[in-house]
Amino acid sequence: MKAHLKIFIFFLILSQFLITSFAQNHSQMKFDCSLCHACETPTKSDPCLITCPCDEMMTVHIPPVRSPKIITMHKLNVNQNLYEPVLFSHRVHAEMSEMSGGCGMCHHYNPSGNVVPCSNCHQINRNRTDISKPDLKAAYHRQCIDCHMQWSDDFSCTSCHELNESGRTAFEEKEIKEERVHPEIEVPEKLIYQTPDQKKSLVTFYHSDHTNYFDFECIDCHQEESCTSCHLKNELKSEQKISMRLKHKSCSQCHYTDEKSDCTKCHIKEIAKPFNHKRRTSFELKSYHMELSCIRCHESKSVFTGLSSNCANCHSGWNLETFDHKVTGLMLDEMHADVECIDCHPGEDFSTVPSCEDCHDEKTYPDDKPGILKN
Amino acid sequence: MGEKSRRNFLKTLGIAGAACTGIPSQKLISKTQPQLSEDRMGVLVDTTVCIGCRRCEWVCKKTHDIPAGEIESYSEESVFSKMRRPGNEGYTKVNRYDNYQNPSRPINVKVQCMHCDQPACVSACIVGAFSKKEDGSVVWDSNKCIGCRYCMVACPFQIPTFEYENALNPDIHKCDFCAERTEEGLLPACVDICPVEALTYGKRRDLIEVAEKRIKLYPDRYIDKIYGFTEVGGTSWMYLANTEFEKLDFPNLRDNPAPGVSESIQHGIFAYFVPPISLYALLGGIMWVTKKKNNNNGWNK
Repeated sequence: MKAHLKIFIFFLILSQFLITSFAQNHSQMKFDCSLCHACETPTKSDPCLITCPCDEMMTVHIPPVRSPKIITMHKLNVNQNLYEPVLFSHRVHAEMSEMSGGCGMCHHYNPSGNVVPCSNCHQINRNRTDISKPDLKAAYHRQCIDCHMQWSDDFSCTSCHELNESGRTAFEEKEIKEERVHPEIEVPEKLIYQTPDQKKSLVTFYHSDHTNYFDFECIDCHQEESCTSCHLKNELKSEQKISMRLKHKSCSQCHYTDEKSDCTKCHIKEIAKPFNHKRRTSFELKSYHMELSCIRCHESKSVFTGLSSNCANCHSGWNLETFDHKVTGLMLDEMHADVECIDCHPGEDFSTVPSCEDCHDEKTYPDDKPGILKN
Repeated sequence: MGEKSRRNFLKTLGIAGAACTGIPSQKLISKTQPQLSEDRMGVLVDTTVCIGCRRCEWVCKKTHDIPAGEIESYSEESVFSKMRRPGNEGYTKVNRYDNYQNPSRPINVKVQCMHCDQPACVSACIVGAFSKKEDGSVVWDSNKCIGCRYCMVACPFQIPTFEYENALNPDIHKCDFCAERTEEGLLPACVDICPVEALTYGKRRDLIEVAEKRIKLYPDRYIDKIYGFTEVGGTSWMYLANTEFEKLDFPNLRDNPAPGVSESIQHGIFAYFVPPISLYALLGGIMWVTKKKNNNNGWNK
C-alpha cells in the first residue's frame, strides 16, 4: 500500500513537472531527447513520442501485479548457439516470492532507484580477471537451479531453454514446447489435520472459506516459506518436528490457541462442517449479504465480534427515495410505495414482522402482502 | 695431480652423498621442484554450488578425444550409487554425498588431478616424463613414459592411471589442466562448461582471497577450511565444502609436501649404491653357496 502511494505521488509530481516545465522550454532540460522522442528532430505536429519509459523507471519495490509478466533473458544469447533465450515468468515468481524472502531473494542488490540489471555486476565473459562474483551465466543458473533442483528432478537444459534451429538440428529434436507459464495454483477446499495426540482428534481447515469469505491474502498466512514447502519431491516430504506454538502460528492470528483456551473448538473427533453463518450466529446470509466478504460488516479482520441484526446497524440513511424495496423480494404496490418505512416497520426494526395495524384494522403480514412477491 | 684430484673428487662425492641422505630426512623438502610462479593458476571448486550435472565429465572426454557418448546420458543419476574415480576413460568424475543439513540438496564433489604445487609424481618419475609447469599445471610426456607406474604409487590422491588393457604401448593418464586450451588463452573445458560456475579459474592467490571471503561472508554455508590450501604443500585445485572433507572422501593429508617424504625414502634406499651392491652381494652369495654344494656333489668335471 505504501509502495502504491509512493509511486502515485511520484507520478503526480512528475506529471505536474512535465506539464509546467516540459511544455515550455524542455529542450534545455538535462535529459537525453531519445528518452521520449523516437526521431532526431521532433516537431510540434510530429513529436514522434515513444511510449512511456516506465519500464526504465521501475524499482523492485513495486507490487508483483505491476511487475513484468515475462522477461526474455537475452543478454547471454550472443554466446549461445543451441538455445533460445529463456522466457522467464517473472510475475508468477514475484508473487510466490512474497510468501518467502520477497523481491530481494533474486534482486539481492537493490539500491533505491531503478532495478539494477544483473549484468551490471555479473560479467558476461567467464574468462575474466575479477573472479570475486560469479559470471552472468552462473548467476542466472544459480538463481534458478538452486530452487528448481530441490523440487524437480528435471533440471535438464530444455526444462527452461527452448532449442533454437541449430540446437534442434544438433539434438534432432523437432518438438517446440509451448510458452512456459506457471500452472494455476490449486487452492484446496479443505485440509484435514490429524493431531498426533492419543485422542487422534481432527482439525478441519476450510482453506477456501478463509480465502473467499474471510478476505485473507496468501501472504497473510504463507510467510517466510521456502519454495520447497509447496514444491518438494514426494519422497522427501516428511513431517518435521516443530513446536506447538509454531504449529498454531497461522491460526493464532485470529483464533485463540494458547493452552488456556478451549481446544475442542477446533480439535474434534470428526471432520467439521464448513462455516455456516446461520448456524453460528442465527443470522442467515441471503442474496446480497451472501456476496459480501466478512470484513464489510465485521470491521476487524482478526476477531469477528457479533453485530446487531438490526439493519440500521449497518444501513443508515435509507429512505423512500434511496431504498428499492424490490431487493427484499417484495415489490410494493402503488398504494404502499409512498408510505414511509417507519409506518410499517415501527422503530426501524426490519428484522421483525412488519405491522399493518396503524392503517388497517383486519390485515396482518404475511397473510396480506402490500405488493407482490418477486424472486 | 691426477691422484690429488681423484682424492678430491672422492671427498666431494662423499660429502654430497651425506648431504643427499641427511638433509631431506630432516627437513623433508624436495630438491627436484621448480620455482613456483606467484601468478600460477588454479581452480576453486565450490561443492556447495555444484549441481552434479556431470557436464564437466562429458566435456573433459570430448576435449581429450575419449569416447564421450551423448550429453543427455549424463543426466542419469544412478551412477552416483557408487563412488567413481578418475581413470583412463575420463580424467574427472563427480561423486554425490548425502547432505544432512539439507537433504533435498545433495553434495556433489568433482574429482580430478589436484595439480600439487610440489607434485610427488614429478619427483617419483624416474625418466622425467612428468613436469610441473609455471602456470601451475602438472603435465606428462607420453613419449618419455616407460610405464613404471611409480607416479601412481607416489600420488597422494591416487590420480594417475595406467592403460592395463593396452599391452603393446601402455600410457599413463590424468587431468592435464587442459594445457593446450590454456596456452591459447581459453579456460579449462570443465570450467568453461559448468553451468553454475562451481569451478572458478583464476590466479591461485586470488582464489584463496575469494575462498576466504566466501567463508567469512557465509559462515553457515561453509566450514572454515580450504582443502588444498596447505595440504601436501598446497595444490592448484582447492575445495570449499559445508562439511568435513573426510566425509567427502578427501584424504586426510599433512602439510608436508609429498615429494619430501617419497624422496627421502627413495634417496635413502638408493644412496651409496646400496641396492645394486646388496643385489650383487646376494647373487654372489648364492653363486658361492651353489658352487660349494655342486663341488660337494662331485659335479665338477
